[in-house]
Amino acid sequence: MAATSIHKFAQCITCHAWSPDLSMIALCPNNSEVHIYKLSEDKWEKVHVLQKHDQIVSGIDWSSRSNKIVTVSHDRNSYVWNQEASGWVPTLVILRLNRAALCVQWSPKENKFAVGSGAKTVCICYYEQENNWWVSKLIRKRHDSSVTSIAWHPNNILLATTSTDGKCRVFSTFIKGVDAKDSAMGNSADTKFGEQIVQLDLCFCWAFGVRWSPSGNTLSYVGHNSMIYFVDEVGPSAAAQSVAIRDLPLRDVSFLSERMVVGVGFDCNPMVFVADESGLWSFLRFLDERKAASSSAKYGSQFSEAFGKFYGQSKYSANNNVEQSRGAHDNCINCILPLAKQRKSSVTRFSTSGLDGKVVIWDLQKQEDLLEYL
Amino acid sequence: MAEFVEADNFEAIITRIEHKSRKIESLLKQYKPVEALKTALEGSPPKTKDERCKSANWIVVHRAIMAIKDVDSLFSALDPEYYDILMKYLYRGLSTGDRPTCDQCLRIHEKLTEKAGLGCILRCLADTVNTV
Repeated sequence: MAATSIHKFAQCITCHAWSPDLSMIALCPNNSEVHIYKLSEDKWEKVHVLQKHDQIVSGIDWSSRSNKIVTVSHDRNSYVWNQEASGWVPTLVILRLNRAALCVQWSPKENKFAVGSGAKTVCICYYEQENNWWVSKLIRKRHDSSVTSIAWHPNNILLATTSTDGKCRVFSTFIKGVDAKDSAMGNSADTKFGEQIVQLDLCFCWAFGVRWSPSGNTLSYVGHNSMIYFVDEVGPSAAAQSVAIRDLPLRDVSFLSERMVVGVGFDCNPMVFVADESGLWSFLRFLDERKAASSSAKYGSQFSEAFGKFYGQSKYSANNNVEQSRGAHDNCINCILPLAKQRKSSVTRFSTSGLDGKVVIWDLQKQEDLLEYL
Repeated sequence: MAEFVEADNFEAIITRIEHKSRKIESLLKQYKPVEALKTALEGSPPKTKDERCKSANWIVVHRAIMAIKDVDSLFSALDPEYYDILMKYLYRGLSTGDRPTCDQCLRIHEKLTEKAGLGCILRCLADTVNTV
């Protein structure tokens, strides 16, 4: 099995994040709290509960170098948590939003973080030393709908966003006094804050789960129409590929290497996408074994199963339970994170969490057919 | 600008559909229903907003769909690139509420779902821009 550890933490998990040394996990059990668990002697132990938000926590990110946790919530606020002797101390970050915050991510240098929101805006927050205060700068009037996912380019300047208007956009987040002009960043350092670098019109419905490859050369995001998109050389001459998925749509993606992407979503089973030598992306296989054997039989009696469900007969559910019990997740997976102590060009381990309240850790070390892509 | 191009194209699209219709009739006479369906699906005008073009093409596709007798042999001959567009037309057929049309569309729908998966249905339902 590719799934090495499965643990049910709650009824439902909206998001999770790992501590820098991967010994602790912060997760939101679908309420206004963030629970931090620590692994001690093969058992997960709840060590902290972060209580400050009023509504569901929609995003958590734990910075790997500075050991700070940032959380955002539907209550439109964000907190940055610092670990001190007495525990985790929150600092309020006023985002100036009039709708829920939906996602958050630390920039690679950890001097900024970005928040996507239902207010059709993206907030770029940075720390002002003289005021001892986190400042939020907004990218306004660029999105026509909620921002569902954000991703930092490794150069710390470019930010990719996906939103429910179906577009994927890339912005410059250069902030004077925070970012140094650096020739290594190329052209992106010349751009102004909030300037749109590119807008990708590939999808005609909601878009989710955008990520950059480790080098920042490739961008990937998913649509609610069971499609996944790969974009090379983001800029004026971007080369885009669309891959249609046979099954239910994805919610989030993660690059494990330049040539391998894992997508998770409503199929409750991670999907592996790989690029061949020429850079052509395609679906390779599911990670959990359960699907391959049952899919044809399942579709064949689809109608009778649907009717069985309709009349409360046991046929569908019994059949379904046997099938589901073999899988690691049994509800929609909405969050995937690579597991690595530093940023690396390829990782073999990653974790997923979903609406079934489980966190699953996957290891591809024994998946021989996948190793050539890592 | 876009509207202008569309208005200009209207005549051209209708002419093309008429041409397609004649070709389909001749293919059906030669007992090539799958070829007829392929021809009907090819160059369907999803990008245009003009309902008249969409309706004209639907009439042609409908003719080809109803001529399909053996659904199994349809899918052994139909290439996957047609799956998404065929699914869209099946849902258009189901939305008419006409009994024989719905029966036929459901029969093909079952086999198509088996072949192309649920993703195909989602692509059809989620796409509100390129409708047929």
